[in-house]
Amino acid sequence: MSNREKKVLIIGGGLAGMEAAIKLGGAGYQTVLIEKEDHLGGIMNQLYGSFPRWDNPQKIVEEKVKMVEENPHIQVKLNTTIKSVQKKDKSFVVELSDQEKIEFDAVILATGFGFYDAAEYGEYGYGSFDNVYTALEFEGKLKEMESWDKKDLPQVVAFFKCVGSRDRSKGYPYCSKICCMFTAKEAGLMKDLNPDTKCFVFYMDYRAAGKEYEEFARSVIEDKHVRYVRGRPAKVLPDNGKLMIRAEDTLMGVPVEVAADMIVLANAMVPSESTKELARMFEAKTDKYGFIDYIPGHPTQSGDRVFFAGGCGFPVESLGAQYQGAAAAAEVIALFNQD
Amino acid sequence: MKVAYYPGCSLHGLAKEYGISVEVVCKHLGINLKEIEDWNCCGATAAHSLNHELTISLSARNLAIARDMKMDKVLAPCAGCFSRLKGASYELRNNKTLAAEVAEIIQSAAPVEPEVKNLLQLIMEEPGLLDKIQSRVVKPLRGLKLAAYYGCLLTRPKEIVQFDDPELPVSMDMILKALGADTVTWAHKAECCGGGYAASDTDIVLDLSGQVLESAHRAGADAIVVACPMCGVNLDTRQEAAAALKGKKYDMPIIYLTQLMGIALGYSPGQLGMKRHLISPFPLLQSKGLA
Amino acid sequence: MLNTADFYHVWRIDQSSEQLKEEIKEHCHTDIERCLECGKCSGGCSNAHIFDITPRKIIQLIKIGEEAKLLKMDALWSCVACQLCVDRCPSSINIPRIMDYLREKAYKQHIPATRPNVQLFHELMLGHINRFGRVPEALLSVEFNIRSKQYTKDAQMGMKMFFKGKLNPIPARVKDIKKVRRMFRNLPMQREG
Repeated sequence: MSNREKKVLIIGGGLAGMEAAIKLGGAGYQTVLIEKEDHLGGIMNQLYGSFPRWDNPQKIVEEKVKMVEENPHIQVKLNTTIKSVQKKDKSFVVELSDQEKIEFDAVILATGFGFYDAAEYGEYGYGSFDNVYTALEFEGKLKEMESWDKKDLPQVVAFFKCVGSRDRSKGYPYCSKICCMFTAKEAGLMKDLNPDTKCFVFYMDYRAAGKEYEEFARSVIEDKHVRYVRGRPAKVLPDNGKLMIRAEDTLMGVPVEVAADMIVLANAMVPSESTKELARMFEAKTDKYGFIDYIPGHPTQSGDRVFFAGGCGFPVESLGAQYQGAAAAAEVIALFNQD
Repeated sequence: MKVAYYPGCSLHGLAKEYGISVEVVCKHLGINLKEIEDWNCCGATAAHSLNHELTISLSARNLAIARDMKMDKVLAPCAGCFSRLKGASYELRNNKTLAAEVAEIIQSAAPVEPEVKNLLQLIMEEPGLLDKIQSRVVKPLRGLKLAAYYGCLLTRPKEIVQFDDPELPVSMDMILKALGADTVTWAHKAECCGGGYAASDTDIVLDLSGQVLESAHRAGADAIVVACPMCGVNLDTRQEAAAALKGKKYDMPIIYLTQLMGIALGYSPGQLGMKRHLISPFPLLQSKGLA
Repeated sequence: MLNTADFYHVWRIDQSSEQLKEEIKEHCHTDIERCLECGKCSGGCSNAHIFDITPRKIIQLIKIGEEAKLLKMDALWSCVACQLCVDRCPSSINIPRIMDYLREKAYKQHIPATRPNVQLFHELMLGHINRFGRVPEALLSVEFNIRSKQYTKDAQMGMKMFFKGKLNPIPARVKDIKKVRRMFRNLPMQREG
């Protein structure tokens, strides 16, 4: 099986990249998985909980990392980035940040997504007012709050969805797809920490299109008693340590105010800078925002011998990232069998 | 820099002290203001409320005169006038049909330049001017805790004005800090005071100005600094009544930015029209050795 | 001013007219079909707490062509044109311009203003601009108080302001007043009747 001599490069060691590596390594191909951080797992490492089954993210990462490490065909290179790429007829010569030059027969981009800068919303005061967090920062805050005295926990936490998503005037017209669910999750986790904390989720719609998603969101509302307020907040006015939120309850059609101790902003997911740069280096197709785009008929292929999986293509939840990693591996294997 | 000056009716009337201090400070800084010859009222807020062509035409005539005077910029220190002139210039640029109609109405080609600037913009966008101001300070405003108040129209609408952050503006704070003062962080720096409703529906102004005053008071400000005669007049002359509605009394001086610039640059409060305020800024200035 | 009966009945939305929506697109250069119905405009509106119809509902009413209701609403006469709504709108819908457009339309059709004093003040001010080219604020205030029969309104404050030198009793004038008056005469659509 000379095909097994084929070498594939996977850029990004999050769930999507690890899944692709596990499948390609499992099929016996020489797989090099590079990661710019000093550990695998990507954004999952920063999460406190997951949806829709409340699984422990650390556990998910640990299991995957174990599968990667136990596979003899996968070489993991941490703290590693790409310096240059030279395209040959049916391969790439890639120079890595450790000066090593390796020839690969295919590449999978799995660099994940970046985040919209929430400070662009002056009306929400992120970066200027205390206690205004991004959703990702709040995952860390939840961990930190585990050890707090109950009296120090916030009495009122408000969650704002669509900060940079579905906003043509400041951000992007698209829906970032996963914020509805992780916001429900974060509000639910806050309630788990302290059922007496009042949680308000300001929403324009809630989108729960996925297996078990609707049930998940309803349980946060019905069992954990998170209050959903339909309306996009207009302004946060800091007032003596509290954050006064002004919004309209669009179901009632009246202005409402909430004096919150903490505000959590679900800022949009955007193409990361490294994704854009790698797309240029590998001549991958991108959409008008800079996300990696697919070639019609090849849902995980983006160029000649260039494949992709996970958030670099569009915001995706952890299970979806794994599906895409597996699918990209399958497309690479199919290509190698045709070579 | 050749700057056409559009004082507007308020700087000749209700807010004379703002007009006086703008002229003193600009002269001191070498900004050569040339008043737009025979300017007319911008029409705010009556004209835009009742007749769109009229509001654009009133501004267009002023801008056409400034253009014919071959000026680089127009300074409109009143946020209301600024908003109308700037808005008209934006519409004339982007709406050819309207521009043709207006040319007919004012009997002159519709003006697309010069650029209209408010006071904050004029200072912040001129390279080196803020440093120059700082270097000329002879009487630093040490010990003053000020609430910089931008209101709505100095930075809005953002698509037209394209200056500072309309929700968390910083330019006036930067100028006041350059003068040696401290500024407070406060919630209502860019909310509305009620604008042109002071006479016609006073309750609206008492409500909105009251919220602004309460917010500055709670943030611990000694005074509110304004760069608009409507904000200045509303917060000063309606303060007693607005506070009374909340059962309070603030005695919060409302001072024009250029008055404080004048003090820091070495002028006396009298030269800057400071005796004209209903809530006198003198006790505050005296307590800090500034008057 | 709208009362609850104007709102709480069954609306035949299949019979609604698209005309107002199209008119607004043409004259205000803003497309209300971009509205996401999020309510950010109304949540931050300076005066939403006193509006009979909040900005989000105004957009909805335009969609279903309810012109008659819009032209008699109180919001037309209590909007402070602060631009907060358009600045925060995720679709940049120019609500202040729409408010001006609807008010102008109501005014031209002689639909009574819910706040007659606001309309009166605007008219007196325009009268002054037509006469002098500029607005003598002191004179305007006195005239407004007389015409609105609020003879003692702000009298005490007015005196204080006068002695502080804040009021200029001599009206300023544009020298070439003919040019200003010609603008008023050349305006296309004058008020009907």
